Amino acid sequence: MPLEILLILVVGGIAGVTLLLHLTGKSRLHVLTSETAQEQWQRHFPDDIVIDVTVAHDSHTALVRTETGAGLLWSFGADTVARHLREFDWLEHPEGFEFRFHDFSTPRVIIHLDETERQHWQQLMDPA
Amino acid sequence: MTDHVTFPDAVQWAVPFFIAAILAEFLWIAIKGRGGRYETRDAVTSLIMGAGNIASGFLLGFIAYAFFVWLWQITPLNLGTSIPVIVLCFVLDDLRYYWVHRFGHRIRWVWASHVNHHSSQHYNLTTALRQTWTYTFTFMMVVRAPLILLGFHPAMVLFVGGLNLIYQFWIHTEAIGKMPRWFEAVMNTPSHHRAHHGRNARYLDCNYAGVFIIWDKLFGTFVPEQEEDKVDYGLVHNIGTFNPLRVAFHEWVGIWKDASQPGLTVRQRLGYCFAPPGYSHDGSRDNSEQIKAKHLARHPEDRGTPGFEQFNTAPNVTTANRA
Repeated sequence: MPLEILLILVVGGIAGVTLLLHLTGKSRLHVLTSETAQEQWQRHFPDDIVIDVTVAHDSHTALVRTETGAGLLWSFGADTVARHLREFDWLEHPEGFEFRFHDFSTPRVIIHLDETERQHWQQLMDPA
Repeated sequence: MTDHVTFPDAVQWAVPFFIAAILAEFLWIAIKGRGGRYETRDAVTSLIMGAGNIASGFLLGFIAYAFFVWLWQITPLNLGTSIPVIVLCFVLDDLRYYWVHRFGHRIRWVWASHVNHHSSQHYNLTTALRQTWTYTFTFMMVVRAPLILLGFHPAMVLFVGGLNLIYQFWIHTEAIGKMPRWFEAVMNTPSHHRAHHGRNARYLDCNYAGVFIIWDKLFGTFVPEQEEDKVDYGLVHNIGTFNPLRVAFHEWVGIWKDASQPGLTVRQRLGYCFAPPGYSHDGSRDNSEQIKAKHLARHPEDRGTPGFEQFNTAPNVTTANRA
């Protein structure tokens, strides 16, 4: 196949599929509740024993406390990703917090918290 | 000399079919309200990975091809290009695919290339195109060497390999439940390959087949999809990025970080490069056997069921004494 035809097909195909999916509402983020957040955490870490779950007001992030420490669960497209809060840095962010994981496959996530949540989450992450 | 034998690049010619089939699957799901899920960024990442795979073939394919041409020059055998020879080449290349794929899940160096294909939490036709950019660095082209030394022309070997990949495209779907029994018995199908993409303990390291599922049945790696254990797609530790560069290279970076830690022995460093995924020098991670064992500790009722056959008897230290 001529290279220019292949290029048109590939670029056009990707652009077309992207547009189609976005316009048909396939860019919506996963919505979390306390129950689904716990289920999702157990899906990612079936060995963990969950103590409690705190879901942010935007329903896209949850702080999960387990018997082995705290973790973060967040919406990742239509799915979720979870990480234990080990080997990470967190920074103040105008929208809430920014978590930077020392992990090339999961570099960072910005979580949206209001002022009350921000203080509460800070206490939950660092009870001392 | 390669005797001026030419075969078409089947994968490139299949690109229009790939696009049409993705649109058809999307419409099917939209109309029926079942049969899979699509998400914009996930699908776009998969498609970019597919485009990058073709680009890496242009950029790095010459390395494998030069190796094959060299093998062709030293072999005294030439089986020609008749239809029966092409069919035989296709079947033997599928056996080659089985083993390369199995190595891809059991050797971390090869997994680093293959992992991106499993990095989506979705399972649709775009997932089929989420292909590696780094296959050349695995050196798995050596597994094709016996075919060429047996007298199959390099161009033919690459051609049937392309047909193999095209076959595997359509099995990346939830829109098809089960195929007729005879077909499920011999061929790789959407059902068999869904199980392969599962991160459930049951489905880890199973169904490596490309076209013929008989290889898994022959070599003891076949696990049928279970209705009561719905496949959960993705990786044991799912990645949190849609960035294609991170998807393509994250496991290579992981290998480097692990193997270059200070204070390790040479054996431990090699373990991080070549042992099955999940190896750690301090036991802080789980490989697939340990994940299955932990699952059975939580769900003893699954012992001996498909995917857990190797644990079909409860540990019993008195067995030897009773014999």
